[in-house]
Amino acid sequence: MKEKIKIILFVIVLGMVSGSILLGVNRYTESRILQNQQLKIKKAVLDVFEIPYTKENIETVFNQNVEIVKFDGVSFYISKEKAVAFEFSGSGLWGPIHGVIALNNDMNTLKGISIIHQEETPGLGGRSAEKDYLAQFKGKKFLPEIKIVPAGKSKGENEVDAITGATGTSKSFETLLNANIQKKLDLFKQRR
Amino acid sequence: MKLIEPKNFFAGIWKENPIFFLMLGLCPLLAVSSSLKDALGMGIAFIFVLTGANITVSLIRRFVPSHIRIPVFIVVIATFVTIADYSLAAYLPKLHRNLGVYLPLMVVNCIILGRAEAFASKNNILNSALDGLGMGLGFTLAIVIIAILRELPGQGTLFGIRTFGENYKPFLIMIMPPGAFFVIGFLIALKNSIGGRKRC
Repeated sequence: MKEKIKIILFVIVLGMVSGSILLGVNRYTESRILQNQQLKIKKAVLDVFEIPYTKENIETVFNQNVEIVKFDGVSFYISKEKAVAFEFSGSGLWGPIHGVIALNNDMNTLKGISIIHQEETPGLGGRSAEKDYLAQFKGKKFLPEIKIVPAGKSKGENEVDAITGATGTSKSFETLLNANIQKKLDLFKQRR
Repeated sequence: MKLIEPKNFFAGIWKENPIFFLMLGLCPLLAVSSSLKDALGMGIAFIFVLTGANITVSLIRRFVPSHIRIPVFIVVIATFVTIADYSLAAYLPKLHRNLGVYLPLMVVNCIILGRAEAFASKNNILNSALDGLGMGLGFTLAIVIIAILRELPGQGTLFGIRTFGENYKPFLIMIMPPGAFFVIGFLIALKNSIGGRKRC
């Protein structure tokens, strides 16, 4: 009995000490982490619009070039050329994928894609976040849907190459891109 | 054992190197060694967590009820891993993104857990700290060597800087998982041929 009480007490004390340390660290880093996240979204939006910026002037460049409109809590970023960008998210093979897509002002082709967060296998699925890979999405038709086909076989104007060795990620990426574009585009067209 | 024994520090770096001799912790080693930058970041986070956990475990070793010592060690390690996780997310977001899931996975890393159980729970604070630093450096050394041998042929770069010129065609397999196995296999063979095999 005495032993059991000792164990319970020990666990409670350990939990409290560990918890309060982490609480402290969280309070200390929270605002910076949040700021980093917002900065990442702004960077991603500027990236897909291909607006040049430097580390120091992101905020001003963003405010000068991008207009934000919100429909039903979803932010749409509109550039001077009337290209529209929005965030997308969904599940990849191993974890959530989060990024920004931009559509050209013809509302028919992709302007670009930029990934903010992914947890795919480094070196394999993780490469879907690289600029070189994402560059091939530029100018592709997203209607009726984007198709990700085995590497080297993309021909159609809505087809892009998959990543060799990352079939699962490529499949999930295709599904989540199409679902997000469809949903957000409908919302945007309705309210615009 | 004496209050402070320098050999505890050096053991982890070579003689009992966690990677090449104990063959532990291969998972993050294989996964995060495709670029030198990430490998170095992982190594430093690893040293921080291992040393911190070793010191704490040694500090509380007399009070830990032996029934629940492993869960207790895991809570201690998880605390340090979370501190590292938050700090990297706040101050080095890019590295944090690249390490991905392997950073939180350090909680159940067998080197860290193994040192807590095999060393820190039986030795004083100074020796435990030395052991943590030594083992951490041993891991960092291993992951950095592997990253150099993978990034250089696999991408033709080092630290993200092009080293082989524009015409170099990367030997892609080296930055994919098989490359990690090749490199670590050769390194262990090399190590055994010079250092002699450890008898178990």
